[in-house]
Amino acid sequence: MTKKSKKWLRFRVITLLLFFLVIFVVLISRAFQLQIITGKTLKGLAQKQHTKTLPLIPERGLILDRNGEKLAASILMDSVFADPTKIADSRKISAELSAVLGEDRRVIQKKLSTSKHFCWISRQISPEQARSVQAANIEGVYLIKEPKRFYPNKELAGPIIGFVGRDAEGLEGVELKYDRYLKCQSDKMLWGRDAKGKRLYLKESLVSEKPDKGYNILLTIDSRIQYLVESQMKEAINRTGAKGGMAIAMDPRTGEILALVSEPGFNPNSFFKGRPGMMKNKAIADCFDPGSIFKPFVAAAALEEGVAKEEDKFYCENGAYHIANRTIHEAQRKKYGHLTFREVIKYSSNIGSVKISQRLGKEKFYEYIKNFGFGSKTGIDLPGEISGLLRPHQRWTNVDAATVAFGQGISVTAIQLITAMSSIANRGVLMKPYIVRGVTDQNGQMIQEYRPTAVRRVVSVATAERMISILTDVVGAEDGTGKRARIVNLAVAGKTGTSQKFDFGSKRYSSERVRTSFLGFLPADNARVAILVTLDEPKRDKWGGVAAAPVFKNIGEQILRCYDSRPGDGYIIEEKEILPQAPVLRLVTADTPLPPAVQPAIAAAGDAAMPDFRGMTLKNVLKIAGEKRIDIRILGSGWAVTQDPIPGASIGEGAVCTVHFSRGN
Amino acid sequence: MKFDRRLLFNFDWSFLLIVLVICAIGLLNMYSAGFNVLSAKAGSFYIRQSLWFLIGLVFMGLGFSLDYRDVIRYAYVVYGVSIVLLVAVFFAGEVTRGTQRWLALGGFTFQPSELMKLTIVLVMTRYFTVHEREGKYGFKDLAAPFLLVLVPFMLILKQPDLGTALILLILFVSIILFIGVQWKTIFITAAAGTLLMPFSWFFLKDYQKERLLTFIDPQGDPLGSGYHILQSIIAVGSGGFFGKGFLKGTQSQLRFLPEHQTDFIFSVFAEEWGFIGSLVLMILFLALVVWGLRIAKQSRDLVGTLLAYGITMLIFWEVLINIGMVVGFLPVVGIPLPFMSYGGSSMVVLMAGMGLLMSISMRRFILQP
Repeated sequence: MTKKSKKWLRFRVITLLLFFLVIFVVLISRAFQLQIITGKTLKGLAQKQHTKTLPLIPERGLILDRNGEKLAASILMDSVFADPTKIADSRKISAELSAVLGEDRRVIQKKLSTSKHFCWISRQISPEQARSVQAANIEGVYLIKEPKRFYPNKELAGPIIGFVGRDAEGLEGVELKYDRYLKCQSDKMLWGRDAKGKRLYLKESLVSEKPDKGYNILLTIDSRIQYLVESQMKEAINRTGAKGGMAIAMDPRTGEILALVSEPGFNPNSFFKGRPGMMKNKAIADCFDPGSIFKPFVAAAALEEGVAKEEDKFYCENGAYHIANRTIHEAQRKKYGHLTFREVIKYSSNIGSVKISQRLGKEKFYEYIKNFGFGSKTGIDLPGEISGLLRPHQRWTNVDAATVAFGQGISVTAIQLITAMSSIANRGVLMKPYIVRGVTDQNGQMIQEYRPTAVRRVVSVATAERMISILTDVVGAEDGTGKRARIVNLAVAGKTGTSQKFDFGSKRYSSERVRTSFLGFLPADNARVAILVTLDEPKRDKWGGVAAAPVFKNIGEQILRCYDSRPGDGYIIEEKEILPQAPVLRLVTADTPLPPAVQPAIAAAGDAAMPDFRGMTLKNVLKIAGEKRIDIRILGSGWAVTQDPIPGASIGEGAVCTVHFSRGN
Repeated sequence: MKFDRRLLFNFDWSFLLIVLVICAIGLLNMYSAGFNVLSAKAGSFYIRQSLWFLIGLVFMGLGFSLDYRDVIRYAYVVYGVSIVLLVAVFFAGEVTRGTQRWLALGGFTFQPSELMKLTIVLVMTRYFTVHEREGKYGFKDLAAPFLLVLVPFMLILKQPDLGTALILLILFVSIILFIGVQWKTIFITAAAGTLLMPFSWFFLKDYQKERLLTFIDPQGDPLGSGYHILQSIIAVGSGGFFGKGFLKGTQSQLRFLPEHQTDFIFSVFAEEWGFIGSLVLMILFLALVVWGLRIAKQSRDLVGTLLAYGITMLIFWEVLINIGMVVGFLPVVGIPLPFMSYGGSSMVVLMAGMGLLMSISMRRFILQP
C-alpha cells in the first residue's frame, strides 16, 4: 500500500472509532434512561402485568374481655368461586350449584357467563353445602377458606363490639375504632399470569407485610359483669314496660368501662337484620335530659366554691317557686318548707337545687358543669360519641339556669354522667373513660397499652368526701329517695332521677313519658364501681327511686360477687380497717400481661401515705411535696395526670415521686 | 501449505477471549430465556444453541486455519452457492408465520439469508481488490458490485425479510464509503434516495408499514402493533440498576414478550441483569468491533483490511440495529443480536466470520504484500 492510502486508511479508522463510540454512548444513555430513570415505573408496570391479586378476607384479630374471654373471633368458612373460562356448560353447572347452594340459578349462570377468570359464586357457605360442592367436583368451581367474624356470646356487649361488613371491615364499635389493629392486609391470593391472562400458578399469601392475623384487642369490659348488667336490664325493661334502657358500670378510679349496655341491643352475628337505629350505641350517641341525677354536681360545685355549707337552710317555697313567667314545682307535687343543704339532695328538691345554683351564679355554675365533662365529648375510644347539648351560660335565661339545676334543659350522654359521678367517687379527679386496655399481637405480646388518663381535678378531696357522705345518706337514710338501692352491709352512694321527656309535638315536657335513672357507686367510701341505670319510658314505676334503684342494687350486689373475696362469704365484703384508700378488692382477672391499672399498696400503720397529686398544678404539687418532704421528678407540663408511686402508697424518708403532667385535651 | 510457527505466536488470544465471553453470556442467557417458571425447568433452547455454538467453534477454527486470501479467491463460488440456496428457499423453504426463510437440512433448518450477509462481505472484498484503483469510485465503477448486492437483496426482500435485506444494502454502502466514493456520486445518490423514499412506502408490506408507524407512535395501539415494543421497553426498564437476577425475569419468561429468545433476547438479558449487565455487554461488543477495526488497520494487504472491515461492520450494524430496536430507538426489523439470539445459521456464520478475522490478525506480519 502506498503512503497516501495508509494515511487515508488511518483517517477512516479513526472516524469509524469515533462513530462507534458515539453509538455506544447513545445506546448506554438509552439503557440508563430506561433502567434507572424510569426503572421503578416500568417495574411497577411489569408487576401489574404479570400478577393479579385477589384480596381475601383477612383474618381479624380477636376481641377479648378483661379476663381473656373471646367476644369476637373468626372462624374459617368455605366460599365458592369459579373460573368462568373453564366452565364448559354454564347452564348445567349453574343448575347443579343452585341445587346445592339454594341460590337462583339464573344469577349463577350470569356470573358464569363472563369471560373473566374469577367470580364469587357464594360466600361463607355452611359446611354441609361445602361438602356437597366438594363432592360435585365440578371443573372450574373451587372452594376456598375464608375467615368469618363470629361473636360467640351473641348480643352480649353488641353495641360495644360493633360488627364487621362482608369483607371484614369494621363498621361499628370497637371493630370500627380499632379496625387498623384488628385487620391485616396479608391475605392476598396472587396469580401469576402470562400475556394472555392465563393463570399460570398460584402464589399463596406471598404478601405478608404484617403478621398473619390482625392484633388482638383487650377490653376493659368484664363479660360476666356485662352479662349480669344486661340480664338485669332486660328484666327491668320487661317489668316496667320500658322502651329501652342503658346501664354503664365503670371503675371510678381508672375510668375503665366494666360493662356498657344499651337495650335493646343487637346480635352482631346478624346485624344486617336489624334496623339501622338499633346498631347505635345509645350510651354514647344519644343524649337526654338527666333529671335529678344531675343535682349532685350542682351541690358539689356549691360546696367546692364555698357558697353553701351542709347545714345551710334553703327555703323551698312550699312547692311552687316562680321565676320569671314560670313556676317550678317539686317532683310528685311535694311541698317542702325549709330544707338543709343535705336534705335538698336527700329529698331531691328541685326548688332547693335551684336555690343552691343561684348562689353559684350562672358563670360559676356553667364552669363546673363544663369541668364535670358535660357539653364535651369524654373521649371514650368508641366511634360516634356526641357531646350532648349545653348552651353557653351567656345565652341562659334565669329560667334556663334554674331548670339546669335539676337536670332539665341540658342534654347529656350516659357516658358523661357516669364519668362525672366517678369523679366524685374517686375523690375529685375526672378520668377519661376507656374501653380498650391494650393491643396484643398473636403471641400475647403487648404492643400498645392504654393506661388510665386523668383529665382534670374537678373538686377537692374534701368536697368529694362531703358529697360521698351526702349521697350515702340518699341511699342509706330511712327517708332517702334512694333507699331501694341499699345493699346489706355495704355503704352505697347514689342519686335517683326522673326526667320528663321533651315532647317535640306539644313543645313541652311530658309528664307521661319519662326517663327514670339511678346513678351511684359502691362501696361508698372506697368506690370500686360506679353504676348508671336509666330506663326509657317505663310504663310502671316511673319514679327513679322505685324503678331504677332496685336494678342498681341487683347489679351492685352481683358485681360484688365478681370481686376477689374469700370463697363462701357471699357478696358481703369485710372491709379491712388498716387499708388506705387504695383498693384491696381486685377484679378476678385471668393472667394478662397488664398490671392492674392502680396497684394496691398497703401502708403500714404509722407510715405516711403518698398524697394524691392528680389534677393539681405543678405549683401545688411542689407545695404539698415540700410539706411532706417528697422529692418530685417532673415530666411534662400542665396538670398532674399520673404519678408513681400511686396515691396512698406508703412512703419513707426521702421518697421520690415521678409525676407526669399534661395539658390534657 | 506449510505451517508457520509465527502463526501460533501471533494468534489473537484477546479477540478469541472477547468472542468466547460474549458467547458464554449468550448461552447463559439462553438458558434463562427458555426457563419455565411453572415447571422450574429449562427449555431445550439452550441445549440446541450450545450445539450450534460448538459447530460454530469448528467453523471458527476452519476460519483461522485457512489463509483468508485463499478464501477470498473462492468468493464468487460462495456467492453462487448462497444465491442457489436463496432461490431454493423459494421452492423448498419452510413457511413460518407468513415468511419463507428457512431450508430444512436433515433435521436442522438453515437460513441462507444469514449466510448471504457474510457472502456479501466476501464478494465485495473480492470485487474491490481485483478492481482496485487509485482514485475514488464513481457510478460506472459501482454498477457491477451494486448488481451483485441487488440480486440477493431482492431475493431476501421477497421472503419477505426486510431487515436482512437492508443489512446487505447497509453493508454495501459501508464498504464503498470505506474504499472511497466520489462526492458527486454520493450527492446524487442521496438526493435520488430522498426523492424516491416516499414511493418506497408503496412497496412495503402492510405489516412493515405498521411497524414503521408503530415506531413513530408506539402508544397508538398498545395491545396491537405497539405491544411488542412496549413490552420490550417494560422488560428492559423493569430490570433497574442491578436487574431482577438470573432466571428471575418475569416479562420475558411469562411470555409477555414474544420472540424473546430470538430478536428480543437483549430484553431478557437487560431485565435480569439490569443496567450493570447491559453496560458490560455493550462494552464487550464495543471491544469486539474496535478490535475488529484494529485488525483491519493492521492488515498488510487490502484484502485483509476490507474483509476485516466488512465483518466488523456486519457485527456493528447487527448490534446497533438489534439493541436500537429493543430499546425503542429503531423500528422492529428481524435482525438477531450476534452470539446472543437463538439461531444456528447466524451463530455458525458469525463464528466463521470471527475465524476469518483471526486469520487476518495472525497473518499480519508474515504476509508479503
